Amino acid sequence: MIGLFLVQAQAASRYGGSLVEAVSSDPKTFNDIVSTDANSRVITSLLFEGLTTEDPFTLKVIPNLAKSWDVSPDGLRWVFHLRTDVRWFDGVFLSADDVVFTFNDLIYNPDIPSSCKDVLTIEGKPLTVEKIDDHTVRVILPVKFAPFLRAMGQSILPKHCLMKALRDKKFSFTWGIDTPVEQIIGTGPFQLSEYHPGERLVFKRNPHYWKKSKTQEQLPYLDKIVFLIIQDHQAQLLKFMDGELDAVGISGSDYPLLKPLEASRQFHIFEAGAAYDANFVVLNQNPRLNPKTHRPFLDAVKLSWFTNLSFRKALAHAIDKKKIIEILNNGLGLSQDGPMSPGSGFFYTPDVMTYDYDLKKAKEILKQAGFHLSPDGGTLKDPQGHPVEFNFYTANAASAGREAMSGIIRFDLERLGMKVNLVTVEFNTLVNKLMSSYDWDMVMIGLTGGVEPHFGQNVWASSGGLHLWNPRQKTPATLWEKRIDEIFNEGAQELDENKRKILYDEFQRIVAEKLPVIYTVLNMDMYAVRDKFGNLKPSVNGGAFHNIEEIYKK
Amino acid sequence: MNNSRISLAFKSFRQNRMAMICLWVLGLLYGLAIFADLISPYSYADEDRNFSYCPPTSIEFFDGPKIVPPFVYQKHLTFDAMHRRVFVVDRSQKYPLHFLRGGRLIQVDAPARLYLWGADARGRDLFSRICYGARISLSIGLIGVAISFIFGLLIGGMAGFYGGWIDGILMRVCEMFMMVPGFYLMLALRAAVPENFNSVQVYISVVLILALIGWASLARIIRGMTLSLRERDYVLAAKTFGVSDLGIICKHILPQTVSYSLATLMLSVSSYILAEAGLSMVGLGIQDPVPSWGNLLSNAMEIVPVIFAPWILLPGLFIFMAVMCFNVIGDALRDAFDPMFQD
Repeated sequence: MIGLFLVQAQAASRYGGSLVEAVSSDPKTFNDIVSTDANSRVITSLLFEGLTTEDPFTLKVIPNLAKSWDVSPDGLRWVFHLRTDVRWFDGVFLSADDVVFTFNDLIYNPDIPSSCKDVLTIEGKPLTVEKIDDHTVRVILPVKFAPFLRAMGQSILPKHCLMKALRDKKFSFTWGIDTPVEQIIGTGPFQLSEYHPGERLVFKRNPHYWKKSKTQEQLPYLDKIVFLIIQDHQAQLLKFMDGELDAVGISGSDYPLLKPLEASRQFHIFEAGAAYDANFVVLNQNPRLNPKTHRPFLDAVKLSWFTNLSFRKALAHAIDKKKIIEILNNGLGLSQDGPMSPGSGFFYTPDVMTYDYDLKKAKEILKQAGFHLSPDGGTLKDPQGHPVEFNFYTANAASAGREAMSGIIRFDLERLGMKVNLVTVEFNTLVNKLMSSYDWDMVMIGLTGGVEPHFGQNVWASSGGLHLWNPRQKTPATLWEKRIDEIFNEGAQELDENKRKILYDEFQRIVAEKLPVIYTVLNMDMYAVRDKFGNLKPSVNGGAFHNIEEIYKK
Repeated sequence: MNNSRISLAFKSFRQNRMAMICLWVLGLLYGLAIFADLISPYSYADEDRNFSYCPPTSIEFFDGPKIVPPFVYQKHLTFDAMHRRVFVVDRSQKYPLHFLRGGRLIQVDAPARLYLWGADARGRDLFSRICYGARISLSIGLIGVAISFIFGLLIGGMAGFYGGWIDGILMRVCEMFMMVPGFYLMLALRAAVPENFNSVQVYISVVLILALIGWASLARIIRGMTLSLRERDYVLAAKTFGVSDLGIICKHILPQTVSYSLATLMLSVSSYILAEAGLSMVGLGIQDPVPSWGNLLSNAMEIVPVIFAPWILLPGLFIFMAVMCFNVIGDALRDAFDPMFQD
């Protein structure tokens, strides 16, 4: 009987079949060390793997290419034992040399603009990575670093394929999108077999993949994965409904269109939970002078409003989050007050100051701060009598909901008597304003988050390049920014998860109270997937197909 | 051009039934634009988020079997299990229509709202927004055409009259403008406009952009006509009397081209309306909350709103009507002024 049962259980998963997904633009590169854009990452995550990975549900760090590790009592010396059965696509076995090469020759190479160098540099010092034997690697940290194991999820690249490019000093341009597909060598469950720019990417099964199912079956099950390159979300939806795509990520406003079709078109909508991608409003608080013109980046009058906490609090009370969720997401969304998403799990705290939509309260706060309305009641003036007028930038296209959200927020700000010029610009123009030209007043934009709060350091540390409201400070401008710097330094070196949580909870409370960025709403992560696949376990942390090797076609 | 020819042309135009209908329709559309403040129940920016995508309000005349003054019911927004918007009609209280109150033709008391043609995402009345949008969409065509007409006439007239190197330079400039695909030239010009312009400045810049693109083709045609007209005896006569060049161009040559240019003018108004709509639809023209028929349509670029709130396509119908009317009238004018066509 037991034997029969096992056979049945096995019969459920089958080999063969393909999966067709959409990706919104071409990858910029297949070189995972230099890639920075999300679309390239979607592609390379099938090809490359790291020593560790995250469990998509418990969000704990679990073994991947390293089967186990030991750590010295002081938390500084780590020894990783690599799996001995991992082979690159070309049949060569993975060895400690590849790991050492990836860290020492690629990531810490000053000639290579590596996107992960910052995360793996602790207090300005690199990790020391050494080979002990063919399948053992020792990593020595300069100081204790709590997110270390998570950072070890960094993709490992093959030394035997890339050594020549490195020696010729061409590594930064290797494995670009013009590389013949069979030359892209990784250890992942799928390997690239065709790439037609602007059209599609095709992956085939890696027959040497090391992972086995619980019943000792060779993984992966699927033969082929196809990514169609479809820029427009509307076109993705139509193609999904026509059956050309097997899966599509959907937003709250798509839900009422697709949900009634579930049974007749044979698909299912998975609601994975609150997304990481925060949408927020940020006010420019940069007091510095433009070195070229010797004039301030921001007008002194505007600076005095934006650095005024009461002004920011009034703004926070003027955001109609409930209606924004109804209008843009058909009720499928969450209002956000603190810097982390509930999707982040353990480190998220709901216990932060919240701001309900209340224009009366907003007016009251402004009044107490010395702002007053002009006699006709139409114009808000600051204590010195300057009318409150500023530009509000937002990006068009790609970030569909944000433009509409900005319109709603603007309307309420005008009800407070502010004159707000809503300006829609290209996304890249907006990024340029935030990162280099600093000529902006208020911006609506979003940042993606994750499980580990420390990886948001480039945003929250006062010296960070993404510290949007006042970037790259030499010393913290305010006491609370100083405290956040301390929290991030302490948090990185505290190895006790519970103590770390206390620190990061404090950080979330500070941000919600001091409002350097004013949060709006979080979307729900949802995926519509055709019913023909088995083993589907969508999660926020990894999407619909994070366990792609286990997914089979029924 | 003498009076009898003009009256003949008008007579012929009036006999064109189709053109007369279009003239009336256009009159109606311009009426909407001019009297938008009176006709529309709300201001274009008046929003009520409790009525996101509210379908058209039905006006009730019957209370049971009894006929009563028209009234409406209040509606409440809820979401069903599929997260679709469902508006529940609350019949507990009637909200009578008020006529000619507060400077508006029809109104109802809050919290009820009157949506003759449904609401947009933020609960703004589409009918009101179409009326106010007509102001932008219909005026942009006329003003834009007027500007490019003046440029076209002058430059075309000069090129044709003087000939030689002046003609050569002016015509090459024209060709440069005509060479670049119109819509892309428009996008490029729009990108050069400072991004923090307010709505009036954006409006003016859109008009100027449209005019800058449109004058070249008109100038080329006027130049061709002037080339033949300048050889006429009466031009020679004017020259011998010592009339200045500009005087000859404006007084004796350009009036002869009016018949043709009037027809072209009408036809190009429609292309200007379309160009504005295109620009605003991709989010680069008139900016929300100020409505134009083009930016009203931008919402209809997504599948979901069109399926659940099909009334947001209505601005497209208005663009279609206006464009067709201008085309038919332009054709009719050309026929009317064409002497070969007259009996």
